[in-house]
Amino acid sequence: MASCPSSDPPSPPPASDGISGNHNLQPFFVLHKASHSSSAPRKTYERSPASKKTKRRIDLSGSPSKPSKNVDDSLPTDPSDPIFDQLRFDAFNRTWSKIDTTIKDVLRKINLNLFDDVRCWVQQSFLTIRATSPVPSIAITCPYPLSTDALCKQIPTAFICTKNAEFVDDLLTFQELGEHLKCSGCHVANLSSLDFSAKHGIGSCISSLLRTLVPDAADVADISVLGSWYSEFSRHDNPVVVIIDDMERSNGDVLAEFILMMSEWAIKIPVIFIMGVATTVGAPKRLLPSGALRCLLPCKFTLGTPCERMNALIEAVLVKPCTRFTISHKVAVFLRSYFLKHDGTVTSFIRALKLACIKHFSMEHLSFLGYGVLQDDCEVAWLHKHEILPDVCKYTSILSLHKREKGFERAGDAFVNGLNELRRLHKNWGSIVMCLFETGKFNKMRFFDIFCEALDPSSYTLNCPDDTSSTDIFPGGVFTPAKGGSIAQAIYKIHEKVRELQLIMRSVDGGKILKENGADVDKSEFLHARKSISSINEKAATLLETIVRNLLVPFECIPFHEIICFKHVHILQTALIGDPRRTIQVDLLKSRAHLQCSCCGSHDSVISSSMHDTSIMYKLAQEYGDLINLHDWYQSFKATILGSRSKTKRKGQSPASKKMKTALIEGDAMIQARFCRAVIELQITGLLRMPSKRRPDFVQRVAFGL
Amino acid sequence: MAVETRRRRRSLGSQGITFWPERLAADPGRNPVASSLISISQTSRCGFGLLMYGFGSKKVLLEDFASTSLTDYGALVLNGYLPSINLKQVIIAICEMLQDQLKTSRKGSVRKKAKTQQPLSFQSMEDLLMFLNEQPSDDNESFVCLIIHNIDGPALRDFETQQYLARLASCSPVRVIASTDHVNAPLLWDKKMVHTQFNWCWYHVPTFAPYKAEGVFFPLILAGSSAAQSTKTALVVLQSLTPNAQSVFKVLAEHQLANVKEEGMPVNTLYTKCREKFLVSSQVTLNSHLTEFKDHELVKVRKHSDGQDCLYIPLTTESLERLLQELV
Repeated sequence: MASCPSSDPPSPPPASDGISGNHNLQPFFVLHKASHSSSAPRKTYERSPASKKTKRRIDLSGSPSKPSKNVDDSLPTDPSDPIFDQLRFDAFNRTWSKIDTTIKDVLRKINLNLFDDVRCWVQQSFLTIRATSPVPSIAITCPYPLSTDALCKQIPTAFICTKNAEFVDDLLTFQELGEHLKCSGCHVANLSSLDFSAKHGIGSCISSLLRTLVPDAADVADISVLGSWYSEFSRHDNPVVVIIDDMERSNGDVLAEFILMMSEWAIKIPVIFIMGVATTVGAPKRLLPSGALRCLLPCKFTLGTPCERMNALIEAVLVKPCTRFTISHKVAVFLRSYFLKHDGTVTSFIRALKLACIKHFSMEHLSFLGYGVLQDDCEVAWLHKHEILPDVCKYTSILSLHKREKGFERAGDAFVNGLNELRRLHKNWGSIVMCLFETGKFNKMRFFDIFCEALDPSSYTLNCPDDTSSTDIFPGGVFTPAKGGSIAQAIYKIHEKVRELQLIMRSVDGGKILKENGADVDKSEFLHARKSISSINEKAATLLETIVRNLLVPFECIPFHEIICFKHVHILQTALIGDPRRTIQVDLLKSRAHLQCSCCGSHDSVISSSMHDTSIMYKLAQEYGDLINLHDWYQSFKATILGSRSKTKRKGQSPASKKMKTALIEGDAMIQARFCRAVIELQITGLLRMPSKRRPDFVQRVAFGL
Repeated sequence: MAVETRRRRRSLGSQGITFWPERLAADPGRNPVASSLISISQTSRCGFGLLMYGFGSKKVLLEDFASTSLTDYGALVLNGYLPSINLKQVIIAICEMLQDQLKTSRKGSVRKKAKTQQPLSFQSMEDLLMFLNEQPSDDNESFVCLIIHNIDGPALRDFETQQYLARLASCSPVRVIASTDHVNAPLLWDKKMVHTQFNWCWYHVPTFAPYKAEGVFFPLILAGSSAAQSTKTALVVLQSLTPNAQSVFKVLAEHQLANVKEEGMPVNTLYTKCREKFLVSSQVTLNSHLTEFKDHELVKVRKHSDGQDCLYIPLTTESLERLLQELV
């Protein structure tokens, strides 16, 4: 009665199994070649036969000036129609390219000053090299070695402190630095620590250097090739800059050898090193021998911290209303903890954001309408879209706050008004958060904290939460900052600043009055002036508080926010952090939840013979320590498998018959085979280690607990 | 009841399987679009590598997915569960596929020809990767899908291979769709590989399908472990011995390879040969080496047909050849 996969009698293999069956033992094979049905750009999606007949153009730009007029009346009624998939995909591409450009601009701006400093230093160093060793052009082309003194052999080296143990974030920075230097005419080669490995030796890094600078050269690690390349044309007017992004991960001996070699060639090839240092400036001293260090002429630069970058990214990408995509409070909190506790790299944050963006556009029906939500004067376009997409209204019924739109005569009006309000509140929200950020800057607060708190829907209370029949579809509530939260701190800071301002003004004005009136000070006038200033400032502080309370409306409290807001934190988490160690164990221990069969009983803790063999084996293994006796394990497995069979057979069959005996022998062989297969499967998953020679009867458990 | 389960399984194995990952993650009732296989292929098109994990073989799943939703692009399958794989051949095949693809789509020559017009097989890995990197990616439409079964398989488990795979995955015209089965698979990659090269998007797909192809090379636990003396364990033992002991083993191995049909090498013959090569100075020295070999089950003794004791290595000819190659 076994019903689970491995317990089944052999069933005909699936169609594709037969095709790939011949390929199972081939290291690789071509599954299929690209099908070129047309020369036009390919689309991944095929429309359903019903919707193939209709072709429509939907303007995604959000611009009111170009409403598409030639619209076919027959529209796809199914929200999952491939045409909408295509629209969503296009919208994603546009949105992400905008976000991506913003991110790159922000990161470039952060480093721009440093890049300029490095460029000036490179130019100055090159001039110094040329000044200390005035080499005629003939000398450049003369054969190696060039006799020079020790001073000329020193290579100017910039150690750029990344202030970040994770070098991933800085890969892009060093690439952009390379591009920046290339623009000023330098010959730049970006090398990585992999080029300085002990296994490949000096040959590998020279090959990489040649491959970057002299792409047409033969594949020979010969530095003289670089020398002759450098002497050609007018190349010797600019230095060769070698960037090593993570020098601490390089092999010290290979790097030292490379430095010594380059210093020998310093006159012929004026090289300048730029090396990324993740820990301290003392790192090169620990890595390199004194001989190599003597060849370097160091100079220190420092990059911004990951937190600074993150602040800038949050501000530019998620707060300023330039993007068409945002995230919910839960997602923001997850991303914050992912950044602070799990990974700590800006790269992973950007990656997570992109993944959230993809998931949003692939999961949310109306996400394709998000492109243009934040542009002004698009009411006509929205109305037009509502007209050409009658199903939009139908789809909006899925959206949670749609029920509140009863006050409008036409659904289209409600839709357009809703989107308008979304745009208005989004802008307000962005402006207020920017104000809070500015305050936070003085207090060295993390923008991410303010951002998360400003998104928290629980901080926002509606004025009339029970009045669902209200004609006002838009929220009219107040934002109450959490006590001790970032926003409360920021507001407190504003209060402090106002008080400081008051004190300054008091002293200034008081002094003025005293000066003007001299000895005849009218005390009441002075007090009145003080009182009026104080009340004005109090009003200013109250105004700030009121603005925060009334205009900081979290997205999740605004109707139609689903169009631009990604909320599925669990989906993002699953896609971002695969946790195979835990998940595979859960698969085996709770196989019923995945297979959803009705034969295995309702409780996961009970072992049933109809369960998957490997699942049975792994559950049985939980009863052992780190070593499992094979014999005992097999007997338990056999007992579990035969448990239900023997119960049913005992009733009707005579136990002494010969047929029964043969069946039992066959059954034993089958159980042994199933046992072996389950052990192999556990080995493949890495949950089991094979017996050692010392204890051949025992296998070793590897994972304990989830 | 059993029929119901089987039916469910088959649907996973044939058509339903393609959109299963998203359906597991999202509630299909509330998000019908989430159960679209397009979203998975979109993720791949957007530059993410797809990594399927969970218990059960994912071989059929991945190949079905590629056959149904990635037909516009070339697809190459790499069986990572095999004990040995030549990665260079794989990269050459990808380069060839891409060249064909670009030629057909543009009806012209490839924008950047491979270095010095050499045949691809003559070029180094670096050149091949550079060739792939330099292919145009602006249209984001011409790419090759590399499907890797068991990216954590025995032949792909070393750091260097993973580095090459990561670099391959970061090439703009290559999209990687892989499966992993080992619980410790994430330990294979550093942050650079994960975040910037493979760029994984994880999908939990517990298919519970039997590991038919993947388990072929694992020894059966009840078939006796002595017979399963692998090349690797022998190599580890030999590398821990002295060079002279290794040379004695080589003499025996070479004799066994040259005389496959013989039952073994008599001890006296081995002694004479080793003495000629100045590997041992006396019978006592040879015996000490042989004791070491026997203790580690590298060498066994059996009776020759003429009653004489002879030595043999309990490895297949193929394993022995590989062992000698790796021992050099």
